[in-house]
Amino acid sequence: MLLFKLAFRNIFRQRRRSLLTAMSLTGGYVLCVFSFSMSEGSYSNAISFFIQDHTGHIQIHKDDYLRKPKIHKSIEAPEDISAILDASEQIESHTLRIFAPSLAYSETDNSPAQVIGIDLDRERTTTTLAAKISEGSYINSEIDGEGYYSAMIGAGIANNLNIGLGDELILISQGADGSIANDIYIVGAIVGDRRSSDRSTVFLPLAAAQEFLSMNDEVHEVSILLKDDGRARAEAEILQDLLPDLAVDPWQEVEATFYQSMQTDKQGNVIFMGIIVFIVFVGVMNTVLMSVLERTREFGVLKAIGTRPAKLALMITLETTMLASISVLLGLVLAIPLVLWFTYAGFALPEPMDVGGILMSHITGELSLYVFAAPLFLILGFAILISIPAGIRAAFNSPTEAMRSN
Amino acid sequence: MSAVISTTDVCRFFGDDEETLVKAVDNVSIEIERGEFTALVGPSGSGKTTLLHLIGGLDNPTSGSVKLSGTNIAAMSGTALSDFRRDHIGFIFQAYNLIPVFSAEENIEYIMLLQGVDAVERKRRVSEILAQVGLEGLGDRRPNKLSGGQQQRVAIARAMVSRPEIILADEPTANLDSKNGIALLDLMKELNESHNMTFIFSTHDEKIMKRASRLIHMQDGKIEFDEKK
Repeated sequence: MLLFKLAFRNIFRQRRRSLLTAMSLTGGYVLCVFSFSMSEGSYSNAISFFIQDHTGHIQIHKDDYLRKPKIHKSIEAPEDISAILDASEQIESHTLRIFAPSLAYSETDNSPAQVIGIDLDRERTTTTLAAKISEGSYINSEIDGEGYYSAMIGAGIANNLNIGLGDELILISQGADGSIANDIYIVGAIVGDRRSSDRSTVFLPLAAAQEFLSMNDEVHEVSILLKDDGRARAEAEILQDLLPDLAVDPWQEVEATFYQSMQTDKQGNVIFMGIIVFIVFVGVMNTVLMSVLERTREFGVLKAIGTRPAKLALMITLETTMLASISVLLGLVLAIPLVLWFTYAGFALPEPMDVGGILMSHITGELSLYVFAAPLFLILGFAILISIPAGIRAAFNSPTEAMRSN
Repeated sequence: MSAVISTTDVCRFFGDDEETLVKAVDNVSIEIERGEFTALVGPSGSGKTTLLHLIGGLDNPTSGSVKLSGTNIAAMSGTALSDFRRDHIGFIFQAYNLIPVFSAEENIEYIMLLQGVDAVERKRRVSEILAQVGLEGLGDRRPNKLSGGQQQRVAIARAMVSRPEIILADEPTANLDSKNGIALLDLMKELNESHNMTFIFSTHDEKIMKRASRLIHMQDGKIEFDEKK
């Protein structure tokens, strides 16, 4: 306790110098927290975007459908899987999908299209598809009086085929049984605009798509939305045990390219912040060494009366760590309102910024333990690191030599 | 009586070659018994301080041995030597050398903390020793709020509170006026007699050396003569 007291009081010996050092540490901490908040916030927004847009937290497929999609790699009896998923308390909702490449025709034009058959009710509660409708309204799975199903088409297809709401859309594809699939649908809604990722997609009611592609009740994909963003891997493992014949992947595997580039970028950010903190600490190291040099005689006396060399080094480490802790606490007081504003208000960018392939025009931060704790450990770690040379100097100085100095 | 301090042919030379070689302590052999109140006397540069440092384990001899209570401290280093100094030797310095950010009480308490003495016992011993050195009521003052004589009393209390066998004092009265210097020496003598601790102090003040029961005269790093009263 007395050692703590000694270290603490030593900080206040040279008040002005300690204040300047603390200010640089506080500034470094606030800068680090802001940067971490921005990085985490940008990626969180990007992750939320594609999770809610279509990916979900977890996806279930047959075999290696995720990497090599083929129409015949389908999940049989998806209603059994739905029963399991509906019973889970961790799952918010899930949806069933089938996919097929096709050619879309109007009376005058044609265009390649990606057909996605969706469970309309489940899709509405799992993704933001309904919110992306720019014209018309979310379709139902009923057949109209003339025997046609409705379809929702991407704005790109609508433009290419020069069709709109109520027009006929002809789709041609290959069925799961090898037959030529073709049918007519009525455009019930236009999705997004010509820049949207869904611009070449045709959404059909699941039953219509199954019928079109001769897939009976089978589906290609189950997409799951969890209640807790952080449980994707854990829940995927649980589901994998329950469904050993199927491939269950968290979003980190489904969007592996994005996830890996995000991780690399985050590591780069930590290294960059480490360099900034190191530069800040070069100045701090100078202060610590100066403070040790000034007290050489005192350290000699402390050694003479029986203080172990290791304890002297510990005292110097304590002093630096305490100063860094006080600075970080002050930084925390300043950083919390800043991060709160950044998280809930944020700011608009003059030009959209690419975050892992997703264009963001408004940047918000993230409020989490990580954005405050990671810079804290970075700064405290450096504080301990830079106190080591000064501690070694004090510890290994001969008491006689030390006491001769002024 | 048994020798608590024993040096045999101890030398401490500085410099690397014949031209720059300084023989600060040159072939000194002495034996000091428990409870002695010994003064190392001689002019500046005679080797008093260096010999005190060698006896206190603050410096290593170039050759020879220094034994304290039978332990050859010249062969010790690092943590073992620190622990030995902490438990067996008390130091009093010319410039007091108190820790400026500690109060008088905390300066005295610090060494017991290093020894692992529990808090209650530390407080008890601090009160007791402050009373013995005449500083009751001044325990909470920092060194800069104490006079030179009071600071040196705190230094004496710090040296004695760990109950060492030997107290080494390097010119303890040099920064004090003669009245305070004599009073301090009288206090040291009194504590020496009441606690049977072995005191060795260096001085070149004749009034002070009269208080010693043994005078070891040094000149050019050698013992000129050893006088027991």
